[in-house]
Amino acid sequence: MSLRLKLLLLALATLVLPWAGCRYAQEMESALREGEQNSLSSVAETIASSLQGRRDLLYREPPAADTETADTDDAAPAPLSPPPSPYDIKPILLFAPPLLDGYTDDWPHDKSAWRYFAQGHHRFGVLTGVCERMLYVLLEVQDDHVVFDSPGASPLDPDTFGDRVWLGFDDAEGNQHQIFLSATGPGSITGRRIETGEFGQKSAVTEPRIVGAWISTPQGYRVELRVPLSMVGEHFGVLIDDRSARGALPVSYGTLRSDDLHTVGRLIVASPELTSYLRQFIQPGLRLSIASPESRLLAQADALAQVTELGPGRGLLARLYRRFVDRPATPRIIDATAAIYDRQHREVLGSLKVSQTEDRWLTLRDRALTRMLNSTLLISAIAVVAILIFAARLAVRLSRLRTASESALTRAGLVTTFPETGTADELGDVARGFSTLLSRLNEYTGYLRTLAGKLAHEIRTPLTIVRSSLENLESEGVSPSAGIYLERAREGSERLNAILIAMGAATRVEEAISGAERVSFALAPLIASAGASYRIAFPDRHFATELPDEPVTIQGAPDLIVQMLDKLVDNAVDFSPVGATITLRLTLEPQAAVVEVDNPGPPLSGTTRSRLFESLWQSRTGADSRPHFGLGLYIVRLIAEFHGGTASAMSLPGDSGARFRIRLAR
Amino acid sequence: MKRTVAIVEDEPAIRDNYAAAFTREGYVVRTYSNRAQAMTAFHARLPDLAVIDISLEDEPEGGFELCRQLRTLSAELPIIFLTARDTELDAVSGLRLGADDFLTKDLSLAHLIARVNALFRRVDALRRPLEASQVIRRGPLTLDAERMQVEWDGQVVLLSLTEFWIVFALARHPGHVKNRQQLMDAANVVLDDNTITSHVKRIRRKFQSIDPRFDAVQTVYGMGYRWVD
Repeated sequence: MSLRLKLLLLALATLVLPWAGCRYAQEMESALREGEQNSLSSVAETIASSLQGRRDLLYREPPAADTETADTDDAAPAPLSPPPSPYDIKPILLFAPPLLDGYTDDWPHDKSAWRYFAQGHHRFGVLTGVCERMLYVLLEVQDDHVVFDSPGASPLDPDTFGDRVWLGFDDAEGNQHQIFLSATGPGSITGRRIETGEFGQKSAVTEPRIVGAWISTPQGYRVELRVPLSMVGEHFGVLIDDRSARGALPVSYGTLRSDDLHTVGRLIVASPELTSYLRQFIQPGLRLSIASPESRLLAQADALAQVTELGPGRGLLARLYRRFVDRPATPRIIDATAAIYDRQHREVLGSLKVSQTEDRWLTLRDRALTRMLNSTLLISAIAVVAILIFAARLAVRLSRLRTASESALTRAGLVTTFPETGTADELGDVARGFSTLLSRLNEYTGYLRTLAGKLAHEIRTPLTIVRSSLENLESEGVSPSAGIYLERAREGSERLNAILIAMGAATRVEEAISGAERVSFALAPLIASAGASYRIAFPDRHFATELPDEPVTIQGAPDLIVQMLDKLVDNAVDFSPVGATITLRLTLEPQAAVVEVDNPGPPLSGTTRSRLFESLWQSRTGADSRPHFGLGLYIVRLIAEFHGGTASAMSLPGDSGARFRIRLAR
Repeated sequence: MKRTVAIVEDEPAIRDNYAAAFTREGYVVRTYSNRAQAMTAFHARLPDLAVIDISLEDEPEGGFELCRQLRTLSAELPIIFLTARDTELDAVSGLRLGADDFLTKDLSLAHLIARVNALFRRVDALRRPLEASQVIRRGPLTLDAERMQVEWDGQVVLLSLTEFWIVFALARHPGHVKNRQQLMDAANVVLDDNTITSHVKRIRRKFQSIDPRFDAVQTVYGMGYRWVD
């Protein structure tokens, strides 16, 4: 795994920031929700306590009675609400006025709100609702034989009567009123009442405020009515006159006394002021509703749909965030409920429910979350990019360092300038360390290179003393037995002298190179003549020369070239068996003349090949009578470089021997 | 009359060994270990020949300075330089000062004495009239073996003793290739290949300073040199 990849992974760890942010947002959301719930509860408590004992505000009640109780004594126990009667009518709250068409689809589908009344096999259901000071009545009558009034019948002639519906109620003064509704066929209907004139004559007067529709249903008929609440007092009732035939005696049943059609049940309905009272507490996103103790909705002020200016889910990013953060089970609306008591805290008058949409503070949260996520993502991105750049730079620097150190080791001339040494960080330290190491190595190699020459020079004086002393001793005349030792000592000093000459060879070649003059000369005849001389010098080897036909002229020092060939041939002879053929070859390249010396023998190993031309390096292992200091091929390289060329070595194909190739600039 | 040889050498053992050898050969030897000592003595009385080491005690090139001073006292006095350093630079510097020969210390005593004898012979020969029998003539070259003197087109070529012997060995058998070993034997020196090469180069240069078209000493690469008429 590269350093770059590792650092990139490391940078990806900063992505934990947005994750932590999401977690934090969730925590914050729970806390917010809890706080909101608490504040909602306290709002509910506050509003509920403001309504404590305000039965008048909750329910329509006779003002006289209410003021009476309120005025007499505050501390005295207020009259309890009258005991509930099965004939009480409890309208539900309608949020929109239903169309008076006899159809139920604009009524809430709430089975529990229906009240049913039966007499024998006769049965009807009634559903009442209140909307904007209007009472709506829906009657579902089961009647297997619906009888309409005969067309054009007098409303006062009982023989023409069909099925009819009676509404009975009292007004604010307590006077009883009866309104009947009948139809000659399905369609809209209007209420009528029977009035008795001064002289006892009866007339049917149309009551235009009470209107509705009558339609037939498979079970019987349905009547939908509207009655203004202002007409109705505390009591209200419905009665069905079911006739089996026109003019027959009806079966009457319902919530009115069937004899005088007086009311027995009360109309329990919220006071009209209640909604406006609730409205004063309303805020966007809030819904206040008051229900009766039996959980019937009395009044409601609804601003739930109105939310603050920022709607949910603007922008793709915000939606994406919400997907991460939102728990799907979370309800979108939170509620708080508080009971409304009477003045003495003995009876529950109703309950107040405060609902709030989450959207209000979800928007707040989203805004904060989006901002936080944006910034953490930005930070992560910056961190990744920065680390990537840093890693790339680091990798480049490291590879530069590596390249430099590699080339420093393989090249014979050590690099003097090392990269990165100027930087102040640890990498700079490493580079400086390398640089110091290399310069020491350089000094050391330089010292080694000159050591042979210096040593040769220093040993020469004592050697001269030995040799001149021996010669003097010989001249003095010694006994024959001592002469043997004298001879041996002389041979030893001769060998020592040969070693000195060999040791100084590289130094002398370097000096020869520095003083050499470049002349233009033909290379081919020089190699041919050298080859001829090697045949004489090494009679137990064969020499083959391969030369091009065209003349090859180079600039340089022919003496040095010969010396170079001497070293190469010396080397080839040493590493080839007796009788082997050593090939001297000259080929031409566009920019260079290539001299090759091939010899059969052991192939060159990799390390040998790379170090062969270095000073003081040799691969000879066997003992040899002649001294070797690993300078021969170094001299070859020096001479090749003097001629603007290069020296290289390789194994012959099939590892059958070695080839030395000298490329000389033309 | 015994000839006087002055040896200026700072290494006592070498100095004494040389002194012993020259004494044995019948020379009067005087030894000095530094330049001041030698010059004081030379002002009093000149030797017949001086063998001078290049580096003298604390003067790395004191021998050159001594040589120059000695030449002001006598133009003919034979001077041989001895040195542990056999580099070309030393050789060139030494010869420019008018030394008659330049030798490394690994030369054997016998060879050294042979050189000294030869130099004395030359001094003697120069004082005698020319003897035709000892003279080799090859075209423009006149080579007097007795006086160890070479002329080209009638002009004297100032060669050191070693150079003279190399030219002599080559010119005696024109066309014959003399390898380096043969040339070393002829010159009574033990030298490595580079030194022979530089000697030959210097010989060519000295001839070319008289005749720029000089091309009589040819290199046979890998083999040696030959004289071409």
